[in-house]
Amino acid sequence: MLEINNLHVEVENKEILSGIDLKVKAGEMHAIMGLNGSGKSTLSNAITGRENYNVTKGDIIFKDESILEMEPNERALAGIFMSFQYPTVIPGVNNTYFLRAAVNAKKKYRGEKEYDAATFLKFVKSKLKEVEMDAKYLKRAVNEGFSGGEKKRNEMLQLLCLEPELAIMDETDSGLDIDALKIISKGINKYKNSSRSFLVITHYQRLLKYIEPDVVHVLIDGKIVKSGGKELALELEEKGYSWLES
Amino acid sequence: MNVSDYQNEFNKIIARKYFPSRLNSTRQKAFSKFLDIGLPTKKWEDWRHTDLSFLNKNNFRISEANDAPENIDFSKYKIKNTHTLVIINGHYVEHLSDAPKELKVLTNYEYLEQNDWKQKDKKDTPFDLLNTSLCDSGMSFIIEPDTDIDKPIHILFICSGSENLIISPQVNIDINRSSSATVIEQYASETSSFFQNNCVFASVKENASLNHLRIFSNANKTINISSSYIEQSENSNYKYFQFVDSGALQRSDIYNSLKGTNSTCFLSGLTLLDDDQQSATYITTDHIMPNCTSSQNFKSVLNNKSSGVFNGRTIVREDSQKTNSKQSNKNLLLSDKATMNSNPQLEIYADDVKCAHGSTTGALDNEALFYMQSRGLDRESASSLLIRGFVIELMEEIENKDLRNYLFNKFDKWLIKNNK
Repeated sequence: MLEINNLHVEVENKEILSGIDLKVKAGEMHAIMGLNGSGKSTLSNAITGRENYNVTKGDIIFKDESILEMEPNERALAGIFMSFQYPTVIPGVNNTYFLRAAVNAKKKYRGEKEYDAATFLKFVKSKLKEVEMDAKYLKRAVNEGFSGGEKKRNEMLQLLCLEPELAIMDETDSGLDIDALKIISKGINKYKNSSRSFLVITHYQRLLKYIEPDVVHVLIDGKIVKSGGKELALELEEKGYSWLES
Repeated sequence: MNVSDYQNEFNKIIARKYFPSRLNSTRQKAFSKFLDIGLPTKKWEDWRHTDLSFLNKNNFRISEANDAPENIDFSKYKIKNTHTLVIINGHYVEHLSDAPKELKVLTNYEYLEQNDWKQKDKKDTPFDLLNTSLCDSGMSFIIEPDTDIDKPIHILFICSGSENLIISPQVNIDINRSSSATVIEQYASETSSFFQNNCVFASVKENASLNHLRIFSNANKTINISSSYIEQSENSNYKYFQFVDSGALQRSDIYNSLKGTNSTCFLSGLTLLDDDQQSATYITTDHIMPNCTSSQNFKSVLNNKSSGVFNGRTIVREDSQKTNSKQSNKNLLLSDKATMNSNPQLEIYADDVKCAHGSTTGALDNEALFYMQSRGLDRESASSLLIRGFVIELMEEIENKDLRNYLFNKFDKWLIKNNK
């Protein structure tokens, strides 16, 4: 599904990632763990194609194709989704309208019939239930006046509607209360299947109590220094990161 | 145009037999004063950011009775469910108009006659003086007490013809006690170059309400300078919305005097500019009496080398306690070369008042663009949604659905052309 080879990324002429290798197969969930500043978010931004994240060496292959030359929206249409750590507020743009535009862009890309307003509302309301979100948030502007937990539910709602094959969860647990955390985890577990993969980026082991990654990677100073099973996350919780630093 | 060109046009007006000669001394006084002070230069504080070179480079003459308009396609100006009054090159065309029967339509001379030939007070800016001297047209609209006009009155000022004309209309709108109306002024020039220099006087009497909209959709070679003077009596409501999407230069000077207690005055506007178009809005909201509420809420979207000015002034005088006033100016620049000068000002002389003001100017939010792209929207769709999102709050304040749709339609056309 996703293959990252010797990836070097610079931000404002400073190298943040220094040779990342990562292979995520279809149906797998990988967790990337690391302290602040280790390069976790740079990795997700490089995969999704954010401006000013310059790949200087290496490649990112998604479904057997290099995506480095693709625009962020082309990557999204190809099947990559990122749940933002800090979802952006978009004043004046209605949440339902935005979501329908995004879903219809995907439908168009797949050559399917686009949703009209009424059919889409039915579709989105069925997804709302899964994230236990109040319908009133559909009427607001995107993320405007949403609490931290509501923003993350809205991200999850977008994920469920857009049906990506690779979902990157960037610090999804940060700022979430326990109820929201459980709902999001439930959503992730339900969504995951043999053809859908997850890349979960997190600082803490908290989220991993509710979802089970197949592989855990530890990122320090822009490099993966150790990979292992779920038990690696528990070890990090106990001992911290310092024992892995060279 | 230079001094002798203005003098020529002035001499023509004076020589016209069909204007009441008793106005000649008023005209003469105004014109002498105009010659004394001259046109504003960039050294004048309120004209620092307004480039008037277009006026100096082009010649305009006053319109003649036989200036035949071209074939005008009125359908593009038609707003559903309105009474349309048509004024071509300053002259009211009765057979094209459908004035509601409750509306009294007078010529300005009939209006003056009814008001003992008393001229309305102006600020006597050079353009006000020029309007007084060269005034050749316009109309007066009176709504009698206790009258509600249900459908909006759409006054269409069309400039048309093959020659460059200077049009100096004066419009009086009197909304008498306990009456209400929606009045839309639309300025539209068809082809050649026009210099529209108009003065509008609106008087909103006790317990009356005026919903006032102005649409400036002039051809690119037209300059429009508008002064509006609005006087409000007690318990009156005035709501103003201004929509600018074209023209070489659009300059609005709005003076609003809250002369009665318990009144409201809500002013807002949207300016959309492209190429090297200019727009400047200068507002003075003058709180003279207590317990009044006012707001100024203006937005612009500027593309290419266009430039805009917002200069909003709110004066809260000593006696106007319990004033509640807000000013907001937000601007979106779509190009590095576009410029905006924003200057909201509060002058407060009373102590028990609530006033707030704010101003922001910036480019499209890259974070929001990336967020939308990461959900599969291409950049053009994403920026289109963002620009629409920027203006929607203002547009949705227009209560009349047909009018809102008409303006959204104009906005969408502008957006398609400018979102690339």
